[in-house]
Amino acid sequence: MSPVSSSRSARPGPASSGPKTPGRRPWLTPGSKQTAFAWAILLPALLILAIFRFLPMLEAFYLSFTDYDLISPPRWVGLQNFIDLTQDPLFLKSVQVSLIYVSCSVIPVIPLSLGLAILFNRALLARNFLRSAIFMPVVMPAVVMAVVWTFMYQQDGVMNTILGWVGIDPVPWLRSSSTALWSVIMIGIWRAVPYYMVIFLAGLQAIPRDYYDAAKIDGAGSWATFRYITLPLLKPTMLLVVVMNVIVAMKVFAVPMIMTGGGPGDATRVLPLFIYQTAFEFFDMGKASAMSVVMFAILMAFAFIQVRLFTRKEEQ
Amino acid sequence: MITRRTMFGALAGTTLLTVPGLLRAFEFPSEPMTIQIWWHEFGPLTAYMNELIAAYQGLHPNIRIESVVVSSGDLNQKLTVALATGTGPHIIDNDASFFGLYYSKGLLDPLNLDVFGTADYQGIQDLYTPGGLDAATFDGKVYALPFQANSMSLFINNKEFAAAGLDPVADAPKTWEDMIALGPKLKITEGSRTVQKAFDFPYHSPRWELQLFQPLVEQFGGRLLAEDGVTVAANSEAAVKALTLWRDVTRVTGDPRTTMNVSSAPNQDFLDGRTAMWTTGPWATPQIHASAIGEDFTVVSYPQLDPQNPRTILYGFMWAVNSSKPDAEKAVAWDFIRFMLSKPEEWIAKVGFLQPLKGVAETEVAKNFPFFAVHMKDIETGSWYVRSEFTNEISQAIGRAIERTVYDDVDPQASLDQAQSEIERAIR
Amino acid sequence: MPSDVSAPVSNGKPGRLRRLIAARAEGEALRKGNLLVLAVLLLVAVVALLPFYWMLSSSLRMPDQMFANPVQWIPNPINWASYPEAWGAQNFGRYFFNSSVVAVLITLGNLLFCSLAAYSLTKFRFRGRHLSFMLILSTMMLPLEITMVPLFLIVNSFGWTNSYQGLVVPFLVEGFGVFLMRQYMLSIPTDVIEAARIDGASELRIFWMIVMPLCKPALVALAIFTFREAWDLYIWPLVIITDDALRTLPLGISLFMSGYGTAWDQVMAIAVLGTLPMALLFFFLQRAFIQGIAGTGLK
Repeated sequence: MSPVSSSRSARPGPASSGPKTPGRRPWLTPGSKQTAFAWAILLPALLILAIFRFLPMLEAFYLSFTDYDLISPPRWVGLQNFIDLTQDPLFLKSVQVSLIYVSCSVIPVIPLSLGLAILFNRALLARNFLRSAIFMPVVMPAVVMAVVWTFMYQQDGVMNTILGWVGIDPVPWLRSSSTALWSVIMIGIWRAVPYYMVIFLAGLQAIPRDYYDAAKIDGAGSWATFRYITLPLLKPTMLLVVVMNVIVAMKVFAVPMIMTGGGPGDATRVLPLFIYQTAFEFFDMGKASAMSVVMFAILMAFAFIQVRLFTRKEEQ
Repeated sequence: MITRRTMFGALAGTTLLTVPGLLRAFEFPSEPMTIQIWWHEFGPLTAYMNELIAAYQGLHPNIRIESVVVSSGDLNQKLTVALATGTGPHIIDNDASFFGLYYSKGLLDPLNLDVFGTADYQGIQDLYTPGGLDAATFDGKVYALPFQANSMSLFINNKEFAAAGLDPVADAPKTWEDMIALGPKLKITEGSRTVQKAFDFPYHSPRWELQLFQPLVEQFGGRLLAEDGVTVAANSEAAVKALTLWRDVTRVTGDPRTTMNVSSAPNQDFLDGRTAMWTTGPWATPQIHASAIGEDFTVVSYPQLDPQNPRTILYGFMWAVNSSKPDAEKAVAWDFIRFMLSKPEEWIAKVGFLQPLKGVAETEVAKNFPFFAVHMKDIETGSWYVRSEFTNEISQAIGRAIERTVYDDVDPQASLDQAQSEIERAIR
Repeated sequence: MPSDVSAPVSNGKPGRLRRLIAARAEGEALRKGNLLVLAVLLLVAVVALLPFYWMLSSSLRMPDQMFANPVQWIPNPINWASYPEAWGAQNFGRYFFNSSVVAVLITLGNLLFCSLAAYSLTKFRFRGRHLSFMLILSTMMLPLEITMVPLFLIVNSFGWTNSYQGLVVPFLVEGFGVFLMRQYMLSIPTDVIEAARIDGASELRIFWMIVMPLCKPALVALAIFTFREAWDLYIWPLVIITDDALRTLPLGISLFMSGYGTAWDQVMAIAVLGTLPMALLFFFLQRAFIQGIAGTGLK
């Protein structure tokens, strides 16, 4: 996983005698004292996560096999909740909306944020100013973003005014089931691109300059440099961005909740919103927990595929 | 037209919510006690509640009232979690339609007859207009008291009527047919933009959608929730006719894409002059007075299919007492509720909330409240909002059906068939 | 720079020469593409900043001109009153304070505990290491919305509702933080640590004096991510906080919006104020972030 060890095509020039190759021996020399230390420093994190994450998580798994309304004690129903879900068009629609949301916000965000990061990773007029400006959407709190964009998306709002300049008729944005999901996805992208741009930028700046210098001397074009130096060395960053992006997109809640409440109809009712409604509006914790287990499974499947894709390439 | 000052000036000191001739068997505790109450954020309500709390604490120095104001969008979720985990407040404030659910989960304490000085629940029911406590009565016992009962009446912007050469009283629509005829005269468009709507149905929340849909179904002779309180008929012939009418009215008069209404500000389009007519309750009156419209508006009864046989909606907010609290605290909580409700005229004057009490209409404040008679008439012809353990599921399924037909032009029958199957799945 | 390149080749060392050639090639590419790149980035910046401008200008616009047609881009006259009115309407000073306390504590907790855990998982080999990492990682996959009720029951049983502990402790460690720190620590040379051990440094000292400084860019990044998430927390405070004195800013904003939904100028004024601390903080942290990366020994 170490960026240096995986850079097979990069040929460091003589100027850099090459950093030591830590990939060869990633572990410290083991010993019983060291093992005790390792456990001791792992323990606080494990303990906090055990109490506030694993325990509720296990309980959520247990609840998915019960009929539970929060008030009377849970009643064991076996797989009934899961069987019901497979036949529930509302649930299937919600999964569909979530998958559309995830794929349509993750796929454009990767090239956009990487592209911006590459543009910023070079000398440029007003670079700091532009970088700060483009970073701004990240700092807008979600509650604020939802309200400001709702305001801008109004029929008489500023977005339609701008469309009017280029001769496009007003778009109903959040007020039509055919456009609402895209409007919500758009602001998700608006806030995500600068976020991941910064992560890519960090990854790019960790790539030793010398590799690029060497590539230039070898006469490599910018595409070849990108393909054979930047991309392989960015692999850990890329994995991080894709995994995070999928999880964040899958979890999206506050924005559709505040902007559309899931509507019109169920056009923007993403899975977490449906889970939330099932639990806290319909008092059906069992079914909500079953949905969360399905969502958990979807996320795990995504993560598994991503890690597999990235590590397999490396092994070749 | 009356001014706000005369409304306040006309406050009478009578208390209507006391049973005459009966002594209260309730002995007020002397030990210190804290009573918690939460309510949904609404400016005038919060102001008056703070007044009431101060007055009650002055009356009973050993009692501390702890209050929490919750945004209306969050109230239900917050209350649900808190009640389920035993951390809820003593006094529960919520939309009347939730109390069926609370009752079915055993969360409600039956009304304390000693505190109200009455021998049976009939004594309490007799104080209210016929049906006024229907939403709060379960198996013959009263579990909650309404502090706000509303119908939906038609509010008219006088200036916009005048601009179209119409008289807000003489030309006000009495039937849906009238409404459709008025559409072209009051709806103003510029290219593809709707600058002013004649009238629009609400689309900002499923609760409001059902609030307007239910009386339409009843006007067509149908009923959403059967007598048994369980069976729902969302795709009856009457319901399909109602949705068809809803769609046809919208096409001529409204534009669902052009709205600033949100759950927290459901009257916004009317307040901004974006729609010439709007349906809402008497509680909107203070808001309208504070807007650019001021007092230049007219209220008429909710449009009908057959004005001879009017059908309207009745909905509101109620208070109940959390059954999980100690008995002594529950009794004080009921006493505080009794105290808060005891000046219905102040509620009208300061908050714009009507209580469905007998005799309210005769008070000076009520007589001075703009269009009080219209509101009262619509309340009297109203039937309570669907009250079921599954009210949320029902309102959301019907809300989605309405939106499918209005936004995506799905056939009303198909759309409601889908709603019906969703509701049946939820109830099963 | 061009004069450097034209200098006699024999004067420089071979490595320096190559650098100069590379720098020159880059300089040319820069000039050719510069205008186009600038134009693209300017356009992106406009898209990124438009909602900010609109929020700011709407907060200063007179309420009756909020939806004027044509759109009023520059408020005239300027409605300064929206700010004091909005600020005075609720206990916003307190909400700001609460949000700051909560966000800072959660951030510090994550910096410490995630780094410790990641160091243990990255550089030590022991039984249960892989399982521990998978368990920690799995916590990323279950959003709070799902575990909220069981979590609430646990926190409630500690008596932590309506308290800072309840707001902070459940978030002191995030699976994502451990993941992020681990990703970075993988590239820290083990030799450096071994060398320190041979020099007789204690394990804790090695972690604190060698590993943590090497992780600086990752720590800054983690601080940014965590602070932002903590500042954004919405549903959790909503559930466990009923006391007005403990409300965080997003709760205050949402309450304000629902209560004063009609006054768009005031809502936008509070939106501006709610964004400002994060904007300022991130503006400075972003510079540290870039500098941290440039100055690290990770290359």
